[in-house]
Amino acid sequence: MPPVLEISNYTLDYASPRGDARALDAIDLAIGRGEALGLVGESGSGKTSLAWAIMRYLPGNAREPGGSIKLSGEELTTKTPAEIAALRGRRIGMVFQDPGTSLNPTLPLGEQLAEVLVRHRALTRRQAWAEGEAMFARVGLKQPAQMMRRYPHEASGGEKQRVVIATAFACNPECILFDEPTTALDVITARQILDLFAELQAETSVASLYISHDLALVAQVAHRVAVIHRGRIVEQRTAAGIFTNPRNDYTKRLIAAVPDPGRRLSGAAPIPSGVPLVEARAVSVHYGRTSRLATFFGRARERVVGNRAVSLSVDPGEILGIVGESGSGKSTLAKALTGLNPFTGEIRFDGRRIGGIADMDKAYRRNVQIVFQHPDASLNPRQRIAEILSRPLALYGGQDGPRDMAVARLLEQVHLPADYARRYPHELSGGEKQRVAIARAFASKPRLVICDEITSALDVSVQASVVELLLDLQRRHGTAYLFITHDINLVRQIAHRIAVMYRGDLVELLDIEQLEAGPRHRYTRALIEAVPRPVGGTTNITIGRHSPGPIPGGFDK
Amino acid sequence: MIELIRRLLRTPQGALGLSIVALVLVLILVGPLAAPHDPDTMAPLVRYKGPSPAYWLGTDQYGRDILSRLLYGARATVVMAFLATALGSIVGAVVGTLSAFLGGRADEAIMRTVDAVMSIPSLLFALLIANLLGKSSVDAVMAIGIAFAPGMARITRSVALTVRKQDYVHAAIARGEGGAYIVLREMLPNVVAPIIVEATLRIAFAVMLFATLSFLGLGAQPPASEWGLMVAEARRFMHLSPWMILWPSLAIALVAIGFNLLGDGLRDALNPRT
Amino acid sequence: MSLSYLLKRCGLTAYTLIVVSLIVFAVTQVLPGDAATMLLGENATPAALAAVRDRLGLDAPIWVQYGHWLGGVLQGDFGTSLRTGQAVGPVMVEALGRSLLLAVLAIGFMLSLALPLGILAAVRRGRAADLLVGFVSYIGVSLPEFVTATLFGLLFADWLQWLPATGYVPMTENPASSLAHLVLPVLTVSVMLIAHVSRMVRSELVDVLHTDYIRAARLKGLSARAVLLKHGLRNALLPTITIVALDVGYLLGGVIVVEEIFALPGIGRQLIVAIEARDLPAIQAGALIMAATYSVVNFAADVAYAWLDKRIQYD
Repeated sequence: MPPVLEISNYTLDYASPRGDARALDAIDLAIGRGEALGLVGESGSGKTSLAWAIMRYLPGNAREPGGSIKLSGEELTTKTPAEIAALRGRRIGMVFQDPGTSLNPTLPLGEQLAEVLVRHRALTRRQAWAEGEAMFARVGLKQPAQMMRRYPHEASGGEKQRVVIATAFACNPECILFDEPTTALDVITARQILDLFAELQAETSVASLYISHDLALVAQVAHRVAVIHRGRIVEQRTAAGIFTNPRNDYTKRLIAAVPDPGRRLSGAAPIPSGVPLVEARAVSVHYGRTSRLATFFGRARERVVGNRAVSLSVDPGEILGIVGESGSGKSTLAKALTGLNPFTGEIRFDGRRIGGIADMDKAYRRNVQIVFQHPDASLNPRQRIAEILSRPLALYGGQDGPRDMAVARLLEQVHLPADYARRYPHELSGGEKQRVAIARAFASKPRLVICDEITSALDVSVQASVVELLLDLQRRHGTAYLFITHDINLVRQIAHRIAVMYRGDLVELLDIEQLEAGPRHRYTRALIEAVPRPVGGTTNITIGRHSPGPIPGGFDK
Repeated sequence: MIELIRRLLRTPQGALGLSIVALVLVLILVGPLAAPHDPDTMAPLVRYKGPSPAYWLGTDQYGRDILSRLLYGARATVVMAFLATALGSIVGAVVGTLSAFLGGRADEAIMRTVDAVMSIPSLLFALLIANLLGKSSVDAVMAIGIAFAPGMARITRSVALTVRKQDYVHAAIARGEGGAYIVLREMLPNVVAPIIVEATLRIAFAVMLFATLSFLGLGAQPPASEWGLMVAEARRFMHLSPWMILWPSLAIALVAIGFNLLGDGLRDALNPRT
Repeated sequence: MSLSYLLKRCGLTAYTLIVVSLIVFAVTQVLPGDAATMLLGENATPAALAAVRDRLGLDAPIWVQYGHWLGGVLQGDFGTSLRTGQAVGPVMVEALGRSLLLAVLAIGFMLSLALPLGILAAVRRGRAADLLVGFVSYIGVSLPEFVTATLFGLLFADWLQWLPATGYVPMTENPASSLAHLVLPVLTVSVMLIAHVSRMVRSELVDVLHTDYIRAARLKGLSARAVLLKHGLRNALLPTITIVALDVGYLLGGVIVVEEIFALPGIGRQLIVAIEARDLPAIQAGALIMAATYSVVNFAADVAYAWLDKRIQYD
């Protein structure tokens, strides 16, 4: 019996005015019945191009110099558009990265599944609707009948992704491509989706291609893993072997870059001096205001809470990690500490009381710097790097020698060439831009730098080098960090203490040793268990094993 | 500037729009010098003539040279439209920025009022104001400027609010920058570009609106050679010479097309990320 | 859509109408030279002027005059024309009817052309059809109505003699002739709208066709037709409701010009006549009715949009 999906010697180019650019180079891949193959690569590696090539969804400038893509022995590259349309959704399905955008906002969820059944299985609408309800139940959606009638904005991210998965499985296809299906989801939701994937994979014996940038995750959901780099498959091994016995240099570098909680990157925690550097005492942030009309109608809703009486402190030279899902209030806290959000409660800096934004003077601002998640947004697109970096120098002083020398030194500190000073941000790569943002934060020689998800928009290897840079700067300057992230493995590598936030509350604050020994709070445990660890480890999602059941939506404090 | 022109020439809209607008600017500057005849000299013997070597575009009901009148009229029409747009943009930008800056209930009150004012159609508003002020070019400029201000205020405010939420502005606030620096150096360069694009598109609209006011008798007054007025006067004689209507109509359309194309071209050229 | 959204939107419309009435009153009442002089002419005796002022209430403080006027308007009394001595309300409302007929025909004609053209351009993006539609629409948005009207008149009425040049025949008198007289006005005011709306439809649809959910629909194996009609147009045409409603502003401006040129006795022509005669009550009534029409159209469009678009939760 031939493999379900067989790609041999497949090459793909994109034509451009400057000549053809090779996207995929002599790809060989095969996936058998019931098998899950993980495809791992960084952005620009060609992993998404391969998915489009398999789905026969290529842009007009795509050129295919050679190779074949076969589905159960049938050549796909020579099929007509009509034949492909009849095949998509029926014999080969796809699950997308962001369920928030891959569902039509103006159609009910049920309709978006039922239309596939009507089209490919020639069911009547009533049959399709009934079948759809059964599918919804099967992917673990509660109250499937109601969910069928809901619109995407009325469902949570996890529920929407379940709908997309149900749609992909609707016609019992031979092969399904999963394109980063958990990347846009919160940690615990992502874990539930992974469990669902494993369950359906085992039940249906579909051949799956699981595409991801996350080597640790792929190694746990797939039987075999292929690593793609610059359009080439550089290594293909069993999931167990990829971490323990990598052969290819790129794979080795990739593995080294994957955050491994078992490998500490930062030094020991500083000995507490008695006076914390920064202390938040019962800091609360509220968003929004109730409209007069709502008040008039007696519907004065409770104001949205960003933070509820959060108290924590950072010692000089300490790295305090803050973890939590989106909406947990971790960025809100960062904004309160930098004077971007009004807050109640008080902040103490070096023992000095700061009761509000008005108390944040130049000395405080100079000492507390922030780096944002998206360097695209945090660097003004109309200023050259030189202007961006010289601004804090002008503001806080403390430079010696001419301004351009100081800028060059700042660039050198973050390992960027001095001539970048003349460039605009859009002429730099994502990692380089983030380095500029870090250089800007360090220009004032601050004592605390707040890092708000600064690595989450970056590729794994770029992330690793940025983290390395941060630790290097910390060792040189003794700077304390408030490191906000959703990446638990990363924070376990570098933080001395970890604060866990959930829906605006600080639920647990513990030393890294305590965390490794086993956290006490249920939510912290769920969070840690949800994340796959790179090597074997404790949280394997074994394919075919039943998932431990959904984690309840709320956690007591 | 050179860089901007180079970027403009990359898109067909930008290249064509820039060429047309540049041509119009040249005509405004040197038009009266290049005009073959005096625009107001009447020649009873050569009335209603079609194009000829002596009168390239023909003559009107008094035997005046249409080409010369158009060349002189370029100033009346285009310069006035530009002034009106500039007036409306400045007033609108101030109101919009103020509204975005004040925020909260003040912002809401200002924008609701702007919305309300915008529910008076531009031409009607301009008519009412022109009627209030009087019948002259300057009054028409004021009328169009005032009619444009609410729309520009709305656009300025929305752009300013978008920019205000960007992290580079947050970074500047967190750094402790002063208000003047944040507004002038961080926000303004990013706010100005979309306003320039919108203003350019509005010049096209202002040219048409100004000509329409003149056409309706509320803008430039005879014997001015304003293009809308030329069309209005020529209507009575269109049986005798269609050229009299055709040329000023084409001139208005050409200038409006030029500014419309230039505006769309600028939208691409002023985007730093392309 | 919630009740509170509806109420809020009603409140906004009411506020809009109050602001509009204030503006209309302000820009007409502070005219140089007062209504009494206008009515009696420059040579009137001071005593006669005073008598007229007293009769019209012109000596009262301006806000009392406004209150008096607005109170009348709310009861349907727009005052008496200084020119004809008739009540302006009924005259304006009758004229509005004729203008609305013109406007509705124009919007219908515009949609029947702009939607297919915009969709065609978006679907054939970058090809000949798209470039042609784009090029023609640049010309369309760059022609003021008085130019279009004049050129159409020259072509269809003078040279080809297919259609009457000017005038108006009531629908009840002779429907065929009535429509024939409406063809050129409708064509004229539609040109700019067709150009504008087809461009907006194109850009909306191009954006929608690039969304993830359209890609997802294609990759579910739906037919190209189903993708376009069910997933694409639905989302692209929703914002068009708002755009068309906003364009009614242009349309009303166009109506003023077109009625003047084609001698169509609608509200626009009444307004021009009133402005020429400095007939204050008529100017006020005409301007207020036009602006109110526009506000009501936009109110209806916003409510329709909120009702159709399930995504947005208004509060």
